[in-house]
Amino acid sequence: MAELYPSLAQCAIVATAFKILLFPAYKSTDFEVHRNWLAITNSLPVQEWYYEKTSEWTLDYPPFFAAFEWLLSQAASYVDPAMLVVKNLNYDSWQTVYYQRATVIVTELVLLFALSRFVKSVPQQNRHLAHIASLSILLSPGLLIIDHIHFQYNGFLYGILILSIVLARKQSTLLYSGITFAALLCFKHIYLYLSLAYFVYLLRAYCLDPKSVFRPQIFNTIKLGVCVVGIFALAFGPFASWGQLLQLKDRLFPFSRGLCHAYWAPNVWAMYSFADRALIPLAPRLGLPVNQDALTSVTRGLVGDTSFAILPEVSKEHTFALTFIFQQLPLIKLWRRPDWETFVGAITLCGYASFLFGWHVHEKAVLLIIIPFSLIALKDRRYFSAFRPLAVAGHVSLFPLLFTAAEFPIKTVYTILWLVLFLFAFDQVAPVPEQRRVFFVDRFSLLYLTVAIPLIVYCSIGHQLIFGLGRYEFLPLMFISSYSALGVVGSWVGFLVVYFTA
Amino acid sequence: MAPPSSYRPRKKRKGPSSFAGTNNSLIAESGGKASPAFPLVSFLWSARAGVSQWLVLPLVLMAVGLFRWAVSLWGYSGFQVPPMHGDFEAQRHWMEITTHLPIAQWYLYDLQYWGLDYPPLTAYHSWLLGKIGSVIDPTWFALDKSRGLEDPLLKVFMRGTVVASEYLVFIPAVVNFLRRYTRMQNVPVWSASIALVAILLQPATILIDHGHFQYNTVMLGLVVASLDAILAGRMLWACIFFVGALGFKQMALYYAPVMFAFLLGVCIFPKIRVLRLVCIALVTLVAFAVLFAPLIIGAIGEEAREILASAPQPPLLQQLPIDLDKHSVLYAIAFQVTQTIYRVFPFARGLFEDKVANAWCAIHTFYKLHRFEASFLQRMSLGATLASILVPCTIIFRHPRASLLLPALSTVAWGFFLFSFQVHEKSVLLPLLPMTLLLAGDGGLSKETRAWVGWANILGTWTMYPLLKRDELRVPYFVMTFLWAYLMGLPPTSLEAYRSGDASEDNAEPHVVIKLLHISFYLAMIAWHVVEAFVPPPADKPDLWVVLNVLIGAGGFGLAYLWCLWKLVQQCRRIDQKVAEETQKKNQ
Repeated sequence: MAELYPSLAQCAIVATAFKILLFPAYKSTDFEVHRNWLAITNSLPVQEWYYEKTSEWTLDYPPFFAAFEWLLSQAASYVDPAMLVVKNLNYDSWQTVYYQRATVIVTELVLLFALSRFVKSVPQQNRHLAHIASLSILLSPGLLIIDHIHFQYNGFLYGILILSIVLARKQSTLLYSGITFAALLCFKHIYLYLSLAYFVYLLRAYCLDPKSVFRPQIFNTIKLGVCVVGIFALAFGPFASWGQLLQLKDRLFPFSRGLCHAYWAPNVWAMYSFADRALIPLAPRLGLPVNQDALTSVTRGLVGDTSFAILPEVSKEHTFALTFIFQQLPLIKLWRRPDWETFVGAITLCGYASFLFGWHVHEKAVLLIIIPFSLIALKDRRYFSAFRPLAVAGHVSLFPLLFTAAEFPIKTVYTILWLVLFLFAFDQVAPVPEQRRVFFVDRFSLLYLTVAIPLIVYCSIGHQLIFGLGRYEFLPLMFISSYSALGVVGSWVGFLVVYFTA
Repeated sequence: MAPPSSYRPRKKRKGPSSFAGTNNSLIAESGGKASPAFPLVSFLWSARAGVSQWLVLPLVLMAVGLFRWAVSLWGYSGFQVPPMHGDFEAQRHWMEITTHLPIAQWYLYDLQYWGLDYPPLTAYHSWLLGKIGSVIDPTWFALDKSRGLEDPLLKVFMRGTVVASEYLVFIPAVVNFLRRYTRMQNVPVWSASIALVAILLQPATILIDHGHFQYNTVMLGLVVASLDAILAGRMLWACIFFVGALGFKQMALYYAPVMFAFLLGVCIFPKIRVLRLVCIALVTLVAFAVLFAPLIIGAIGEEAREILASAPQPPLLQQLPIDLDKHSVLYAIAFQVTQTIYRVFPFARGLFEDKVANAWCAIHTFYKLHRFEASFLQRMSLGATLASILVPCTIIFRHPRASLLLPALSTVAWGFFLFSFQVHEKSVLLPLLPMTLLLAGDGGLSKETRAWVGWANILGTWTMYPLLKRDELRVPYFVMTFLWAYLMGLPPTSLEAYRSGDASEDNAEPHVVIKLLHISFYLAMIAWHVVEAFVPPPADKPDLWVVLNVLIGAGGFGLAYLWCLWKLVQQCRRIDQKVAEETQKKNQ
């Protein structure tokens, strides 16, 4: 195929140049979090890693990630040993910034590798589609905003996830897919949200015969079991032997947080809060009781704990139940049709369910949907029309992560550039579906797109012009959140239809 | 839309067949497969046929804008260097004085601290930006109290003004100019887009304007607008734009001889057109009058006259033979104009400032020039400059053709850079602009032109390294230079431009001698960086590395001057030949 230009490597080079230029950009507390982890893993014995609490940003990722930090800290000592001192809170010499930012760029090579494997795994006649999808992931504004400005290592972790998804494509590498995913869970446990899809798929396609449920592949089951247990033993074994598992559990799953994160992730609960807010003026007429405590909290939506004035409170159990139910639906289909595309669809829908209904969801988690979805968004135009509002909403919802003036042009221009470029390119190449398209989904996504621009303008400039600096700050946040929530929910419904009718 | 996978209709190649064939240099064919010749082509690969400019242009402008803004996150000239700071503070200070002081005092106020020394259009520009900035935060431009302010938001605002000025002046001018120029040269739209990206990512301009901090692109943009007007045949608009460029930054004078020779030539060849000459002269005078009008009007008032009467007389006014009443209107006007001119032109300064890669600084290294009197040096510099620009100016005067303007402008600007008085290392942007615009011409992206233009650009950026290093712009310098070299397929990232490929006639690689010459320059630059980074200079010669940089740079710029001159002569001959052939055909 002559169409594969620019190549992944070429884009990676140009993107790297841009990312290096972003070194002095704003960095969130996550930068200090990771510096602290470098210090902890470098200067303390392993037994103390999960007990150390000099900084408020304690180690709360699974052991592999801690080991990864330890590895990075080995080189860090040559760059600036002061960043490896646990007591040096908020230390950010330019060497530290350059080093940590550079490690994000370097470890992102895993993503590049995974994407090139993905392109190669696709049959020749569809390779240009996979190529465009890979470019869209590599250049994703989500990764740029979260990793290279805000600061995290998602590029590396999503690289492992994609690698595992690619390995699931062939029967012969299914085992490795399972192993890779198990390892990924030991890097960051947020991927537990996707684990049910893996469980069902591996059980169905690897442990049972794909053609018949009644022919279990015992040898496969043993291999997979031994390997997965082995990985977890490698990660958690040492801590289990020191009797620290309960401490690890407390660190990894801090359940004391509220329903909505400090910023509202664009999920069902954001819409719920919005509805609650909207009902307040109507409540006396409708004769609904109003919770006075919730009314008086002026900073609604900005603090961790959200309480509702009119609608019933939501408990953790509710959110878990809802998440679980909506994860089950796609899994039933996956069980009955265990092929790769259904599997990726199921992963995406698991991501959707946990993002939309989860407890204390962070807006960064939207990548959990966007990235697996990108892999199949070009299957045909129906997939693409479900993907479109997600691409807009997911990335726009990340805007509040960066609130400094200097980064404003970068986040908006880069996102708009990406949206225009890739939505146009996707639109050009997406094949015509075999089934009829759903009229409603198409119109919805078009209407949705057109609202984005006035909304971004209002939230970034208009609001301050109308109300002045610092007044009603929750308003633009709430608009962005509700708008994005609408997009994510809309694309979820659209994709559910596509998934079940495919 | 998408055909069944097994069957693919053969795609019709759009474009190249109907054009002169510039795309040949962009597509390398090997074994029947077309592939992009250098990385920048790959990035626009999917735009090669049938993609609307309404899509390509906004995407390109957004992408190059992102790089500009990312560079602007880094340091600027004079950051945390009290008491004088640097160019950033100078520009901010001008916004401060123009918004707070009566216009009569603009060129007089506290000249020791960054007194205004740019022509009036810069002053008006500063006034406008200062007014806008004061709405956002008046403390940024509070008179005297805001000196040396380093508020991060102020930095964002100032950076924003550079980007906004560039996107309002330089970019529309370049886009329009390229559209007209490529159409004139029969270059396909696709090649034009590639040239546009190459021109807009030119590292030197980005690093100086968005890194070091200046508004050069406004002046350069006005010059390009003037060229665009010439291509469109609107000579009077060309005069207005060029006066604007001169009125923004006196450095545009580097281009003035060519513009003058061209506009004069247009009125004389092929036949004398007196009316046109009169119009051009009149419009230029009126444009200058309009440029100075606010300053003059500001000087007429009662109070303003008082201020000017009590101020020390500018030397130029002292030399005027007539004696004026100090309180008269005429005195105020003469004072204001002469004071502006005196401020703008640094007569009193030395032959060169700092270390700059031109002939004087290079000669000075081996043969000290202080032994001569300043006036002698000035005359010598004038003579050398005139000698260097004589040939190109004569050619453009005798053959006033729009297509010869770019090589003529680059030659003359190189001549000025190498030989004129008081050259600044940043002035290298002036010869680089027309030279880089050559990329958009017919065969502009061929190996030879790309190699030369790329080499000059990288060398030019490299000579500014000591300056950029002072501003903590090392990282952006390396990133932007490497990126540009990579995209253009040039050393140090690739030798593509120097290797013989399909060896078609219009895309031959440069001659062996040139190849060796260029590559040795690249090696010298790399070696210099290594030495500069790791070897401390000897104690008695602390400036040794900078001097070495200047020597290499001056040699290279001399070569660039010769190449541009040769290009000019070559193109002129080609046109003459064509004309001769056509007349022969007609006669037959």
